[in-house]
Amino acid sequence: MVEAGSDDIQAVTAALARGDIRACARIISRVERAEEDLVPLLRALYKAGGRAQVVGVTGPPGAGKSSLVSQMIRVWRKRGKRVAVLAVDPSSPFSGGAVLGDRLRMADHTCDDGVFIRSMASRGQLGGLAKAAGDVLTVLDAMDWDVIVVETVGVGQNETAIIRHADVVVLVQTPMGGDDVQAAKAGINEIGDIYVVNKGDHPEADRTVSQIRDMITLDHHLHPESTWIRPVVKTQSILGQGVEDLADAVQQWFDHVRNHPETAAARARHRVRHRTAEIIRDTLDKRLLRDEEQIVDSMIDQVVSRHRDPYTLADSLLAGMA
Amino acid sequence: MKRETDYGYALKGAYGPEDVTGFDYSRDLADPGQYPYTRGYFPQGYRSRMWTQRMTAGLGTSAAANLVLKNYREMGQTGGICVISDRVFSDCIDPDHPLGRREAGILGWPGCSLLEFEELMDGIPLTGQSITLLGSSAPSVMRLAYIVALAQKRGIDPSEVHGSCMESPFENYFGQTDVSPFDLNLKLFLDAGEYVLRNKIRMRASIISQHFQESGGNSAQALAICLSMIKEVCGRLINERGLDFDTTSLFPYELVSVGTRFFDEIAKIRALRRMYARMAKEEFHAKTEKACQLLIAIHTSGRTMTFQQPLNNIVRCAIQTLAGVIGGCTALDNATLDNAHSEPSALAARMSLNTQHIVAYESGAADVVDPLAGSYYMEALTNKVEEEGYRIYNEIQGMGGMIAALERGYVQDMLSAEAAKKFQEIDRKERLVVGVNHLVIPEEDDFEIPIQEVHSHDSEKIADRMEAWKKTRDQAALQTTLAQLYADGKKGDRFNLMPAIIEAVKAYASVGEVMGTIRLARGLTYDPFDMIQCPYAYE
Amino acid sequence: MHKGKGIKVIISMIGLDGHTTGGEIVARVLRDAGFEVIYLGATQTPEMILKAAIQEDVDAIGISSHASNFHQIEYLVELLKDNGMGDVPVICGGNIPKHVASRLKGNGIAEVFPPGSSSAQIIDYVTANARGAARKSA
Repeated sequence: MVEAGSDDIQAVTAALARGDIRACARIISRVERAEEDLVPLLRALYKAGGRAQVVGVTGPPGAGKSSLVSQMIRVWRKRGKRVAVLAVDPSSPFSGGAVLGDRLRMADHTCDDGVFIRSMASRGQLGGLAKAAGDVLTVLDAMDWDVIVVETVGVGQNETAIIRHADVVVLVQTPMGGDDVQAAKAGINEIGDIYVVNKGDHPEADRTVSQIRDMITLDHHLHPESTWIRPVVKTQSILGQGVEDLADAVQQWFDHVRNHPETAAARARHRVRHRTAEIIRDTLDKRLLRDEEQIVDSMIDQVVSRHRDPYTLADSLLAGMA
Repeated sequence: MKRETDYGYALKGAYGPEDVTGFDYSRDLADPGQYPYTRGYFPQGYRSRMWTQRMTAGLGTSAAANLVLKNYREMGQTGGICVISDRVFSDCIDPDHPLGRREAGILGWPGCSLLEFEELMDGIPLTGQSITLLGSSAPSVMRLAYIVALAQKRGIDPSEVHGSCMESPFENYFGQTDVSPFDLNLKLFLDAGEYVLRNKIRMRASIISQHFQESGGNSAQALAICLSMIKEVCGRLINERGLDFDTTSLFPYELVSVGTRFFDEIAKIRALRRMYARMAKEEFHAKTEKACQLLIAIHTSGRTMTFQQPLNNIVRCAIQTLAGVIGGCTALDNATLDNAHSEPSALAARMSLNTQHIVAYESGAADVVDPLAGSYYMEALTNKVEEEGYRIYNEIQGMGGMIAALERGYVQDMLSAEAAKKFQEIDRKERLVVGVNHLVIPEEDDFEIPIQEVHSHDSEKIADRMEAWKKTRDQAALQTTLAQLYADGKKGDRFNLMPAIIEAVKAYASVGEVMGTIRLARGLTYDPFDMIQCPYAYE
Repeated sequence: MHKGKGIKVIISMIGLDGHTTGGEIVARVLRDAGFEVIYLGATQTPEMILKAAIQEDVDAIGISSHASNFHQIEYLVELLKDNGMGDVPVICGGNIPKHVASRLKGNGIAEVFPPGSSSAQIIDYVTANARGAARKSA
């Protein structure tokens, strides 16, 4: 095994490539601690990655995402795929602590060597959450997983930013009444590539499915240029019903982008833009908000006393990064 | 230190007539034996019918548990037996399952097949005393099937057996988790209920608010939960199984936890009788008196049994037993002084049972029915807990009932917030517990109590026996009955599986096989832990 | 209360133990003290807990036990050692007889908290003894 503190990039890369779980877990911990000297390693790992299908799963609290992911893992395992999961849970706004319970709902797979599950609290890491999640995905992608799932609660900007790291986004909804549907239409629905109505035994399930379908049809009329028609899948995660269909829908997305290289390229470029912006934001946050650099402090004081202005300060910081 | 009930009602230093204004004897209390039964169901209280004094048994092999039961009978426990299942049986797997091997016979009776029940009951009558089999919800159908099968084998009409052997599916949410999904537990529970009611078998189901309260819920919440659970169960038996309320009312009994806050506990039990009677009459339009009478069994609180200075627990147990008796219970069993250490030792079991005997025969508490009736304090306290109980009950009903409230997480959130509050109160010494956060003594000064040893090698023995015995069964009978169960399992939630389960049990199918077959028929994995495969092919 | 900042702890039941109340309260207490708690819940085998400990790279493991087959806790400690995780302390709490508690401590279990332990005792112990405690207090 490669020691967690090792800076031997080649050794770590090789360890990950041969599936060393402990090495992987410990590097993820270093990512969470935002260790500065990780950047050279992450650079190398990024270049080694790009093989896995990164599937984002999001939706409101209580929609049954974790149970659904657990069932999807079962299907993927049956199809011979190796699966890693990054489950991001919100932290307590009061203590910063968290009880991460997603693992509990994925307990079926905890003895399977072909499955890796890692929980992450939304405030546990020292840097930005979305940036950290991006780095964790980079680490996982340097291993031989066929599918990497990133699961978050679909509320808050931070969580939406995480899900943008995924190749394809599965949006999980529960059957809902009229007002909720309106809210969903207005809100996060734009980020979904595949829609799921979970708890499909609910009396409102079919109506919710058809309402989402209507919304998609309308959206398709407004954006006829998009080639992917977003599917709606009804599932019942407790019985595993509809989950095969969902796994098929995910596969169809990857088949679709393979056949539509322009869509694939656009999405990939978008992800890189997003990822890079997260890195820049994180770097700036570190310099500006953590109160560690004297030079920055003195520049801030000059802005406070109106000898300088925040625009000039921003230019200086950005110039320093370029 | 807080001087308030666990549901936050601040107590006054003295109570008087102003605390019971509007009190109406015939409406609020009435004589014992009269609606709304605040004062109990019998005009002469325990003189008419003594409560069932019992201790829970179950540890090691079935043969070992059988000896304990016989021993309890010698100690004067003749009204009924009470046996708790081990975790292997509770999780619906067999002792020879990879996980069963580690825990069979630990913490309970390893009742995974009719063979085990036959050994448990060897030389013990099925009738003339109440038979209580505890465990989790899912294997309720197995426990019922054992009783029916053994009665038939002994040439007894099953309707002559009385007691309880079924548990409601709600406890899974109250800190007593088992692995079966809720919808399956509910379906099987209703199957068992419909079966006993249609066949006039006097077996009841425990609707356990005990677990809710032992996991931290307060008295008022417990009342609301208790009524909501019964309403949900009876409502479903009426609406989904076509029974009437007066019939379904014979199905549930309530298992209540009683703690050390003496007066609060008595008030709770009185309020429960009154609230249930009103619900039966006003919401379900009960026709018979009996349908308005909820049987209440009491388990004195295990969570109040401290690890520190365990002999103090004898005193706690005595206070709780007295509260249960004055409150007017149907049956009572005690947590034991070693509850926080291990399973009951013979000494601890005898102490608990003797506590009941002392209360019954020496204290005079059983001589006069509802002795605190008319006390300003007791009536005010009964009204208070009822009022707060109704507030929560109405909230739950407003959401659509117990299951709807569980789906929303309302009950779970309420319970976990309350559990955290209780923990905090002790942490901050707002509530004092002698020997724990008050008057603590050094550990080395503590009295050593005998500890009931639990041996893991017993589990292996039980597992090996089971594995070998399984091969000796009549395979043809097994496969036929299980195939029928599988076919029935596919016929939908309302198709009663009890007849098929009883046939399979008579062919000595194990709990793992019976439940696994039902699970398969419902599209679940055969093994709840997905570690073993079904040995039979059904399709 | 941010004593637990950056400390990751598993809270689990072991074996078929279905009594979740104690574990849930401890999880909540630790969360409120700033710990990250990976809550595994009931019916966890030692093998499952080991796997979770490796994947989550935790700093401590808390087992809430309501009178279990205690050999499973000892087996978990062995498994951790055999898998290079011997530096992760296993801490128990719950209904555990005294002589079993002494035996467990002799067999590599870091600490046993009896019922009635205060949250301060638990928080302070985990803070001081979690793997990498030195790194975190630095």
